[in-house]
Amino acid sequence: MRTSLQVVALWGKKAPPHSISAIMITDDQQTIVTGGQEGQLCLWNLSPELQISAKELLFGHSAAVTCLARASDFSKQPYVVSAAENGEMCVWNVTSGQCVQQATLPYGHTAICYYHCSSRMTGDGWLLCCGEYQDVLVIDAETLAVVHSFSSSQSPDWVTCMCIMHSVRVQEDSLLAVTVTGDLKVWDLSSSINSIQEKRDVYEKESKSLDSTNCQTIRFCTYTERLLLVVFSRCWKVYDYCDLSLLWTEASNGGRLFAGGEVLAAHRVLVWTEDGHSYIYQLLNSGLAKSSSPADGRLLRETVSPHLLCSASVEENQSLPFVMGYMNERKEPFYKVLFSGDVSGRITLWHIPDVPVTKFDGSPREIPITTTWTLQDNFDRHQMVSQSILDHFSGFGDEGAAEAVTASEYVPRLDKLICGCADGTIFITQALNAAQAGLLDLGSVPRDSSPHKVLKGHQQSVTSLLYPHGLSSKSDQSWLVSGDRSSCVILWDIFTEEALHKFFLEAGPVMTLLMSPENFRLKDDQMVCCVCSDHSVALLHLEQKRPLLRARKHLFPVTTIKWHPVENFLIVGCADDSAYIWEIETGTLERHETGERARVILNCCDGSRLLKPEPVLAAALETREHGSEGRGPSGCPSPGPGACPALRVEAPWQAVAASSSPRPFNLLPVKTRWSHVGFHVLLFDLETLTERLLPAAPGDADPTGSFHGRDLLRRARSTVGKRAVPTRRSRAAWGPASPELPSVGLAQGDSAATVLEESDGVKWQKKRKSSKRTPPQLSGRVNASLTLDTAKLFLSCLLPWGVDRELDSLCVRHLNISRLQGPVSLGLASNEDHFSLMLPGGDLCSTGLKAEYSGVNLFSRKVLDLSNKYTATLPSHLGISRGLENDCDSWQESNTITYLLSRLFLVTKLVNMPLELACKVDRSFKVESIHKVKSPVNDILPISSFYSHLRNGRTGSPPPERDLSLVKLISCWRDQSVQVTEAIQAVLLAEVEQHLKTLRKAPADSCHVCLGQRDSRDQVRPTAEVGQVEDLQPESLRSASPVYPAVSPGEQDSNSETANFWDSADVPGRCVLEVSESPGQPRQHSWIAKMCSCRVC
Amino acid sequence: MATVMAATAAERAVLEEEFRWLLHAEVHAVLRQLQDILKEASLRFTLPGSGSEGLAKQENFILGSCGTDQVKGVLTLQGDALSQADVNLKMPRSNQLLHLAFREDKQWKLQQIQDARNHVSQAIYLLTHRDESYQFKTGAEVLKLMDAVMLQLTRARNRLTTPATLTLPEIAASGLTRMFAPTLPSDLLVNVYINLNKLCLTVYQLHTLQPNSTKNFRPAGGAVLHSPGAMFEWGSQRLEVCHVHKVECVIPWLNDALVYFTVSLQLCQQLKDKISVFSSYWSYRPF
Repeated sequence: MRTSLQVVALWGKKAPPHSISAIMITDDQQTIVTGGQEGQLCLWNLSPELQISAKELLFGHSAAVTCLARASDFSKQPYVVSAAENGEMCVWNVTSGQCVQQATLPYGHTAICYYHCSSRMTGDGWLLCCGEYQDVLVIDAETLAVVHSFSSSQSPDWVTCMCIMHSVRVQEDSLLAVTVTGDLKVWDLSSSINSIQEKRDVYEKESKSLDSTNCQTIRFCTYTERLLLVVFSRCWKVYDYCDLSLLWTEASNGGRLFAGGEVLAAHRVLVWTEDGHSYIYQLLNSGLAKSSSPADGRLLRETVSPHLLCSASVEENQSLPFVMGYMNERKEPFYKVLFSGDVSGRITLWHIPDVPVTKFDGSPREIPITTTWTLQDNFDRHQMVSQSILDHFSGFGDEGAAEAVTASEYVPRLDKLICGCADGTIFITQALNAAQAGLLDLGSVPRDSSPHKVLKGHQQSVTSLLYPHGLSSKSDQSWLVSGDRSSCVILWDIFTEEALHKFFLEAGPVMTLLMSPENFRLKDDQMVCCVCSDHSVALLHLEQKRPLLRARKHLFPVTTIKWHPVENFLIVGCADDSAYIWEIETGTLERHETGERARVILNCCDGSRLLKPEPVLAAALETREHGSEGRGPSGCPSPGPGACPALRVEAPWQAVAASSSPRPFNLLPVKTRWSHVGFHVLLFDLETLTERLLPAAPGDADPTGSFHGRDLLRRARSTVGKRAVPTRRSRAAWGPASPELPSVGLAQGDSAATVLEESDGVKWQKKRKSSKRTPPQLSGRVNASLTLDTAKLFLSCLLPWGVDRELDSLCVRHLNISRLQGPVSLGLASNEDHFSLMLPGGDLCSTGLKAEYSGVNLFSRKVLDLSNKYTATLPSHLGISRGLENDCDSWQESNTITYLLSRLFLVTKLVNMPLELACKVDRSFKVESIHKVKSPVNDILPISSFYSHLRNGRTGSPPPERDLSLVKLISCWRDQSVQVTEAIQAVLLAEVEQHLKTLRKAPADSCHVCLGQRDSRDQVRPTAEVGQVEDLQPESLRSASPVYPAVSPGEQDSNSETANFWDSADVPGRCVLEVSESPGQPRQHSWIAKMCSCRVC
Repeated sequence: MATVMAATAAERAVLEEEFRWLLHAEVHAVLRQLQDILKEASLRFTLPGSGSEGLAKQENFILGSCGTDQVKGVLTLQGDALSQADVNLKMPRSNQLLHLAFREDKQWKLQQIQDARNHVSQAIYLLTHRDESYQFKTGAEVLKLMDAVMLQLTRARNRLTTPATLTLPEIAASGLTRMFAPTLPSDLLVNVYINLNKLCLTVYQLHTLQPNSTKNFRPAGGAVLHSPGAMFEWGSQRLEVCHVHKVECVIPWLNDALVYFTVSLQLCQQLKDKISVFSSYWSYRPF
């Protein structure tokens, strides 16, 4: 996927379902991470007052999330690892919402522990995993590659739970694990690090049967360094770790099943059940039972007996399964928190007192719930900001509430959005208009005036839609096929709005409509295949308006449909791994196979082009089964056995990336599993948008400028493409497997230089990637005004409306873009399949925005500071000459928009690079001969002048150093893990301010924003302070200095850094050498780099 | 919504009544049936430690093939582990009889059986606390439960029906080769796996490829059963499979277990279908 793709989510009024199946709180107690059965992760902000608010939804898994764990030292990297039922693993950066690493293993994990031993381990640490396989797997926390395993010599079996025991007394870390059959196993951890790294087998030190099954949790008491709490589903037990003798067994009462537990303090334990109850016990040490033992001649037995101190329970829905966790923090600003998440998506939080005590009469005290929150609460509170795509049609129904959209399809060719509703009507509308109506405050424009068509014919809610022409160019352009709940399929003419034919299938809701592939034709006609909820398949001949085949013998849901092109067979694969072969012409069942043979049959047709690969259909079916739909992806990873992909959004993503002529704007419907709630996602391809606008914008008045801009865009791409070669070599030098770690002995400056070089290399690789794509031929039919409208919509989404009222009105007046109705939910894509979407109100929580900014489309507090820094770096005198005239005409308007977009495009490119690299381990590199590399100096100059040309197409070229400093600034942001969206908004704000400066009535107003934000400065990092110094420099001083925009010490320093940066890039040979010497993982450098750049800039 | 409902209010009331019956009575009936079947299936796997007799009982299986009698084996299965093995191999050329046996102190876990057994017990565990006392409130809840159970059952079945595809070096490195006393000759490889209801033993006879051999060395990929001529590199040597002997024996209780899996999967699916029927009547509520 291209980095330039920007995502805006149009949430509906209903929150997407999130059945929590895993929950954790990050070490800084600022974020709650939950994993859902639908396959998404949700990040919730936890305020210091213990208030919860949902922040972001992370998409990436295609099956239920089974466990979550910290994946690195949290003070260094806020990484969390998630594992799904089908073996997918992802490492997420929970502050930015990006997927850092992903892997799919043939194992499903049920628990993960992060282990790092700083004294003996050089790498990033291990993820110790257990699950549906024997023993404990060791996975590298950074690469997610399997390192080795801890194996057991006695009765190896699945491990259900484990914990890492760190004992100060023994100075040895151990791994305690309990197997399915109830065997406790102990492995030495720290002393076997070397053996594991050398892939030698490490066997358990001890193995003991605990005589109970279904172990849920094992915890070692670090306070006494003696007690061991083991929670089984029917009882919990306390053991003495020294000799593994049983001290106490407490059985569950009332049929409750225990789900977990934790040691609170010395002799104090917390145990919780599956239905959301938790109990705090004091373990009373009964001492040596003097009376009993000596007579028996046995050893003196010490026992403990539990005394219930406190209990806590959830308010309602106690029958739902809960997942709970406990966080024990003894440091001051943190709390002892017990938290739970349930299937309905509700999070409940209890603040556990430091010293839990009983009531005065000795009866257990009830701990009150501190907070509880759901996703829907977020949607309710911030409903203004979440606009569903069809809300503006609500004018039709007088009930006030619009009918829910139950199926939707986007036709990119016509830019039409087709929506089927619950009441059976189908709306066809211009997608861009719908998006504008949903997002923008169009003011005087009547809301329901947008052109649309309504198709009425279905009696029940529409369940599936198909636009045949989108899949096969030979189909009639006017055809639309729709299926509904009552098994009725209608063929429409979308231009005349009439129903051409109705098919009545009588087979339950139509779940999926598919087209036969182009190479498959029966008497030269294509047909539509309907999959119904009674597992039957019907083939319809559209041309002749007659059904061809009814295949009704399937016992299980249909997962695969394949077409045999030669013999006219329809091959249907079912969820139970059986295959049915139907002869299409006669409609007879030719063969029915199960097991291995069925698998062979289903695989053998892989050669023939499929309409949709199987996981797609599986996904579609799974989601549609309950009346919802998800458009399938092409070529997504096949889900594990039986795993049903919950939500497939990556598909169109890939489709967008793969389509031969990329579209600047795309809209895709998203539906979730087990529910009807759906939402839409808008995709803006910044690159294509910029490309299309460039030739159109400056027009005849400045042909050279426009040509220049475009030419430079291309040139920049091709030159950076060549730069990839040395990097490729350096990659080869790293070796394919386990790169060595960077030598620690490097001097600080040196390592900084290396880091910069690396990030440099990174950048070129990324650029190269984009250059691989040939610039699309601009078809003559491109609607220029449509493109411009798209660009305006995009800018509207990004502009921080409400920060500066005057600026807002200037934008509306001179750029002719409309105000937003409220803050938008932006998305951030990490790669093809992984992305995050901000939730309504999500912008308010994490970033420390105060209430004054509610309703303001500001992504984070940082944006203002970044923007100020950017403005400071901008050569200010040029801004004036670039200013717009008061009588701004449309030509200038589009010119400005083009310029702004190209700016934003550059920023995304610059900021995105390292992230992309992290995900591109297996990207194949095009081999280019080395002699093709031109002089590196040539490579750099065009780029720098490219920047300036883009910016100053009409005013002549300024010295490139100015732009270099901008590039440097943005590269610097990247190292400070500034998010792309933040960077984009900051740059946009600064640029818009620059542009419209002359239009302000009083020049003093330009400082308005700066002054307004001064109070927030103290919250920012040292970098920001330096930036502030920069800001305070009088403008005259800045413009007086020709080479460096500012002369603050920090600036000087960073400029010398820049020199270094470019210098090193000048010598490709050296670059290779350096990189191969310190081949370490770029991500590991990034925090060093962060520190370095903090120091210098 | 009113227009969507094809039914009158009375009809709708009947439907709701029917759905309530489905959730409160029928679901539990099916779940109980399911539980009975799965318990029966898990009995076949004889969980070690759970039985009162402590160790699972031993069963002997005589492995043979209908074709030749070059390999004969008696394998002793104890739960999910092979506790004894006696394999007689008639060397093709010399007609020498080679006897292979397990070491006394070691057992070989058949991981396929273990995994299948664990998946079944997970499925049972999912069903345990959904007895009559539990009230299902929504259909979606039942669907989710069924999805989870079906996932475990499908995996259990797949573990038995699809043996691992191993490469020859993986077979050579596996612990099974170290199980024999006296140690396995270097020109022999042994693999044991489950295929459907059968316990299969394969013996590969190898010969070393000469370094100057004109044969094109191409290491074989992973397979359940390698064919003669498959080559691989082990240590510093290049080896080629010259003979493959496969003998098998039906394990009756595995057959039962597979039937139980299929039946319970169908039960689950039927229950899901019943719930889904109602979903088409009221599309809005989380039925």
